[in-house]
Amino acid sequence: MTAKWWLWAAYAVALISLLVFPHVTGVMMRELIGRIFILAVFGMSYDILRGYTGIINLGHAAFFGGGTYIAGIVFTRLGTSAAALLLAVALAWAFAALLALIMGQFAFRNTGAGGVLACAMITLAFGEMVRHTAETLREFTQGADGLTFVVPVIFRDRIGMYYYALLFLVVMTVLLRQFINSPTGRVLQAIRDNEQRARFLGYDVRKYKLLALVTAALAASSSGFMFALLTRFANTDLLSVQNTLNALLFTIVGGTGTLYGAIVGTAFVQLVQSYLLELRGIHEIFARWQIFFGAIYVLVVLYMPLGMVGAFLRIKGSLARWRTAGSNHTEAGE
Amino acid sequence: MHIFVMLLVNGLAEGALIFLMAAGLSIILGLVGVVNFAHGTLFIWGGYMSIWVFRLTASFPLALLAALATGVIMGIVFERLFVKPVYGKVTSQILITLGLMIIFTDMVRLLWGPNPIPMVRPPWLDGTWVFGQVIIARYRVFLIAVGLFVAVGINYLINKTRIGMVMRAGIQSPEMVQALGINIKLYFAAVFAGGAGLAALGGALYAPLVGSVWSGMGIDNQILAFIVVILGGMGSFYGSAVGSILIGLTSAFTAWFFPPLTAYSTLLIMVVILSLKPEGLFGLAVRK
Repeated sequence: MTAKWWLWAAYAVALISLLVFPHVTGVMMRELIGRIFILAVFGMSYDILRGYTGIINLGHAAFFGGGTYIAGIVFTRLGTSAAALLLAVALAWAFAALLALIMGQFAFRNTGAGGVLACAMITLAFGEMVRHTAETLREFTQGADGLTFVVPVIFRDRIGMYYYALLFLVVMTVLLRQFINSPTGRVLQAIRDNEQRARFLGYDVRKYKLLALVTAALAASSSGFMFALLTRFANTDLLSVQNTLNALLFTIVGGTGTLYGAIVGTAFVQLVQSYLLELRGIHEIFARWQIFFGAIYVLVVLYMPLGMVGAFLRIKGSLARWRTAGSNHTEAGE
Repeated sequence: MHIFVMLLVNGLAEGALIFLMAAGLSIILGLVGVVNFAHGTLFIWGGYMSIWVFRLTASFPLALLAALATGVIMGIVFERLFVKPVYGKVTSQILITLGLMIIFTDMVRLLWGPNPIPMVRPPWLDGTWVFGQVIIARYRVFLIAVGLFVAVGINYLINKTRIGMVMRAGIQSPEMVQALGINIKLYFAAVFAGGAGLAALGGALYAPLVGSVWSGMGIDNQILAFIVVILGGMGSFYGSAVGSILIGLTSAFTAWFFPPLTAYSTLLIMVVILSLKPEGLFGLAVRK
């Protein structure tokens, strides 16, 4: 009971400081934190796949970028009325769900280790096709120049947008938490841990993987949509493998299979990135963020497979075991 | 009719190029159970290194050799330092090789700049042959010849030599090969380096075909090679040969008859084949 009380107090303190934050800090920091809130949901959506279902989807950026582009295209073509906003949200979700169903249809055919590889290769191909399509449909997307657009009036206030982003993160965290802890979420974790056993228990593994992909796609698309409202700009980089790898890095730095890890990972990676880019005046090498990005990537996979939150949970777990073992020992001694 | 012959040559030449990448990927996958997601990066490095050497020496064979050597050396470094620690862990392999892809692709931009670099065909391979209405570029015939040579060479290596015997045995039972006193890990490294070399060679041959190199050419060709590996049957060498020709011809013919569909035709072919035969044409399930 006391532990619960502490936890709630910590949540309250964190929430209040985040609420006060935009009023006490500079514009740059506020924009960065707002961006972290939104990208963290992208990271969490990847954790549903990588951390909870054991799938590597290399076309995940198509869902995120799809959400951003659909918002941008609808706002440019149909204006920024409430009806256009609703239509844009509906289209972004429909696109994500449909693409996830088509992608999953072919990506989840093989099982076992070969299945993970096949899935990664097939999703990469689908993702690149979406990027290619966005580059070709210049009439709608402005091709490689990128699409600049205006957003509905209610999202134009920058401080207001910060709060929307925070609200978005909180709502999506609660929803995805619910999904993970639901019976369906449990089946997904069973598939991750032992696909064959899950199949022998009578679960339609492919159907569950599809469900996980659609859920993750909807979350990623929503995140992309919010990103559109925040940045008012879309370019094809958002659809590239690089962007998928961003989400992957967020989850593996933070810790896969922990959900919250994605939030920690996103914050860490984004803060490091903005810090390094500030150093670019000192030496040109700091402008090559991607080389650092790749290096962090390889080092984390090799030496820190659990990620930050994962490592924290493990240390906490062994401390708790050590304590109980210690107390048992003294009891036995008495 | 003459259009048909020309498209056939174009398609086969393109297939030969894809084959250089797909063959390496497929053999590595079959023997070692690893997919190298940095394969496209080796392709880029091959292209840039060949141009660099070509400008220094003005010799195309030397340029190709330099590309091949670059690929082999990078393959050895990748395998020893990064892939070896994660053998058997599929997810980590994918992640690590993706990390290498990012680092080494950006390294190219750092060394040679972000803009495309032009490349010319050597004089003895430039020009065309004209047979009546049929016009055939010499360079494309050269590509087909290289592709055939590599295919026959690999086939000989796998089926007729002792090295190939060990490799085939290694696919079936690496533990047994190990128990017979053969260092299978050394073969893993050699195959990885060989596949990497072929990818770099592919990049060096691709540059004169399209007339330039740029850092984005790796991922496009890597995806074609992936599609070939999947539709040919993962890890099957014959599958990758047949798949390469199929994909090469498909893109040549769609580029002529339905240009807007070109980028999607290869994906469509894969989708159709996987729907009919989920394990691919020469369905060899990867057991490792």
